[in-house]
Amino acid sequence: MTMFKFKWMRWGLALGLLLTLLSTNSAVRPQAVVAQSTPTDGIVCTTSANATFTLRTETGYVGMSDDNTVFMWGFSIAGQPFQHPSPVLCVNQGDTVTVIVQNTLSEDISLIFPGQENVFANGAPSAPQFSGGALTSLAPVAAANGGAMTYSFVATRAGAFIYQSGTSPDRQVRMGLFGALIVRPTRSTGNPDTRYVYDSGDVVYRAGKEFMVLLSEVDPFLNQAVERGEPFDMSLYKPRYWLINGRGFPDSIAPNFAAWLPSQPYGALARINPYDAVANPYPALVRYLNVGTIEFPFHPHGNHGRIVGRDGFPLIDDGGADLSFDKFSVNVGPGQTWDATFDWRDNEGYSENNPVPITIPNLQNMAFGMFFSGSPYLGLSGTKPVGDTAMTQCGEYYIIAHNHALFQLDSWGVPMTGPATFTRVDPPLPNTCPQ
Amino acid sequence: MRKPISRRNFFRIAGGAALAAAGISVLPGIVGKGWLSPTQSAGAQDVPPDLFFAATDGWIGLPASPAMPPYHPDNMAPTPFTTYVFGFRNVTGLNQTQVMAQKMRAQHSAPMFWVNQETTMRLQLTNLGLAIRPDLVDAHTLHWHGFRHVIPFFDGEPMGSVSVPIERSFTYVFRPHDPGTYMYHCHVEDIEHVHMGMTGMVIVRPTQNGNTSLYPSGRYVYNDGDGSTGYDREFGLLLSEVWNEAHWDDSHIQLPQWTEYRVDFGLINGRTWPDTIAPNAPFAPSASNPDAFTFAVARAADGDLTPPPGSPHLQYQPQSSLITCNAGERVLLRFANLGFTEAAMTVTGIKLRVIGRDATFLRGRTGADTSYLTSTVTFNAGESADVIFTAPAYRGPDPYDTYLLYNRASTHGNGGQMTEIRVHPAGALPPQTLPNT
Repeated sequence: MTMFKFKWMRWGLALGLLLTLLSTNSAVRPQAVVAQSTPTDGIVCTTSANATFTLRTETGYVGMSDDNTVFMWGFSIAGQPFQHPSPVLCVNQGDTVTVIVQNTLSEDISLIFPGQENVFANGAPSAPQFSGGALTSLAPVAAANGGAMTYSFVATRAGAFIYQSGTSPDRQVRMGLFGALIVRPTRSTGNPDTRYVYDSGDVVYRAGKEFMVLLSEVDPFLNQAVERGEPFDMSLYKPRYWLINGRGFPDSIAPNFAAWLPSQPYGALARINPYDAVANPYPALVRYLNVGTIEFPFHPHGNHGRIVGRDGFPLIDDGGADLSFDKFSVNVGPGQTWDATFDWRDNEGYSENNPVPITIPNLQNMAFGMFFSGSPYLGLSGTKPVGDTAMTQCGEYYIIAHNHALFQLDSWGVPMTGPATFTRVDPPLPNTCPQ
Repeated sequence: MRKPISRRNFFRIAGGAALAAAGISVLPGIVGKGWLSPTQSAGAQDVPPDLFFAATDGWIGLPASPAMPPYHPDNMAPTPFTTYVFGFRNVTGLNQTQVMAQKMRAQHSAPMFWVNQETTMRLQLTNLGLAIRPDLVDAHTLHWHGFRHVIPFFDGEPMGSVSVPIERSFTYVFRPHDPGTYMYHCHVEDIEHVHMGMTGMVIVRPTQNGNTSLYPSGRYVYNDGDGSTGYDREFGLLLSEVWNEAHWDDSHIQLPQWTEYRVDFGLINGRTWPDTIAPNAPFAPSASNPDAFTFAVARAADGDLTPPPGSPHLQYQPQSSLITCNAGERVLLRFANLGFTEAAMTVTGIKLRVIGRDATFLRGRTGADTSYLTSTVTFNAGESADVIFTAPAYRGPDPYDTYLLYNRASTHGNGGQMTEIRVHPAGALPPQTLPNT
């Protein structure tokens, strides 16, 4: 059965992930975006010294987890090839952000910046566009076939935001004209190991441990109709793919800029070390963003996210009371962004010297996951059955995080794909894990 | 010719490799580091599990009308049942013969169980296989959904851990530190296994319980310190859904296309209205059938379930959702959703206070009260909500006042997620001893 063959190729790719993790420092990566840094995991920021970005539309193809490819639009930094999703723009609070849109598509497009105030378009207040009394766009457009428009605003609030097309957004956003905008507070914690999430409150995260979960959906018939220049009846819209950072599982756990995903540069693997009051006291940060059309109930196993803010608003009331809360289902609504800090704690401290209080069955009496080291204990690798696929490197844990609207954990008929990723918990430092 | 599924094939391969390992293990001198023989841990010997669950398939009874040919009722279903399911059974205290006899006798929803905070609980899971689908050699697991900081070994997510092959057993050990309402489900092929019915509720009781100075009952949802989460009665309401085609597909060796998912039946504790208000299956607690961690549902000599009185079609749907209380009492509703769509449970005439979500007390870190009043509680797939209401005054003239609690988001017509809240005059009902009674 060809599908069998396909699936095993998928797992081969996942195996490639770990090999790639081993060699990332020397890997030649396609320069799909202008990135401040290109870590193998974690959010990939596109920055600019003066917070000015030239985004040009590109078209290309995106690989789905059923090996289908889907035609997609997107923004790329001018001169760079097509990518999906569009670049993660990172700026500092207070920056005057300038986004120059160059439109190569054959229809008008525009950009809107939900959550931002006082946006200008070519120097004038950005406002909905009407023609003959009919709404034509939510913002002034970059005209079809070579038009341009310059949007600018002051990023007054820190947090995670979405930027997206404001012209026929029901179609253009679904075609890929969206991306993330991260605004960082300018205040310093005074500790080189930590960063503030917002400009108020005391929520910090460990520097370098910032991850993105950008959730989206695809109806391939819409994309096919657009590719062919045919009309599409939006009343028939029905997503068949659900993606995390533009990828489905297991592509989602491949490194950033994985060579075999040339137009999907952003991975979703979150790699952390266990909480330790001295060595690793600070949590990681996840930026959840939903550009789909329904709520996506994202469920990280093994820990609750502490929801510290939504849509760039920290969960602090006017009196300064901390209103953040823990959740095991991060139920991100359409167009919303949620910021969550999280860690993983070795609560029971199981080890060879403090063994799990059960009789572990014989090897032949268990089925082994390929992301299981063979040992219950963090940092150890146990024996696995002969012929077993072993994907672990150093006794690390792989703890899944996935959308719990489970029919969406599927790629048009290939179950157990779609919006899922892992939290990879490495043993405490120093460890033997390839970095 | 079944599914293009990676993990299922993966397990087949893993099983083959395991057989090879078994062959090696009989050779003298090959056994190394104890891994090819059971690993005995200190203190593990002779510690019986607190709960022993079996995973298998079975039939449940949903309203036969309106029919949805060919999917509903399932033409393979024996009378009085309609729908093929996978599920868990509580087989604690049964002997080996009785345990094996529970194959093809799954229940839905799975047994609700409860455990005290900071208490170590052992839950042994065995896999009896699927009687209707011997070609499906799926392993099973028990994933405690929402358990904080679990190690993968006890998380039941099969890629990062181990799972339980047919006729094997594995014991999960939990020591919960955080009270609240959780859920559990099999995580193998979890689109299918969750949807097929391997879903249940877990309750973690706070260490504050027993302190009657904060609330007379001494029963609380969280360690609130002030009695604000005290309650007199509690009812667990686990929501699940049935897409007839998917269930029929599994009994007929077919494959659903999950992106076509729809909800044909909405269930509370495995039943649709009006079965939701039918009584619990009879209880028969004993030394071998304890109710310390779950309901001691009466079992026949061969270990089979006993139907609720007058409802033979509910033999494998033993859990009632009928909510009964006395006027003035504080009633806790524990909601959890293991369907795939968002629920909106609503009631008219009673104010609902949401005091917890996802096993988190709605009180900010600096003490701010973030609980809220509502008449409709929304929660999505994989979310839980803790709701307390004060039963309104008895109005009469019937022996009790009836309020309907139902899922307003339900768009399907064939039975529904609805149950009744019955408010009796003050003092009419004796104190509650078990949830959902």
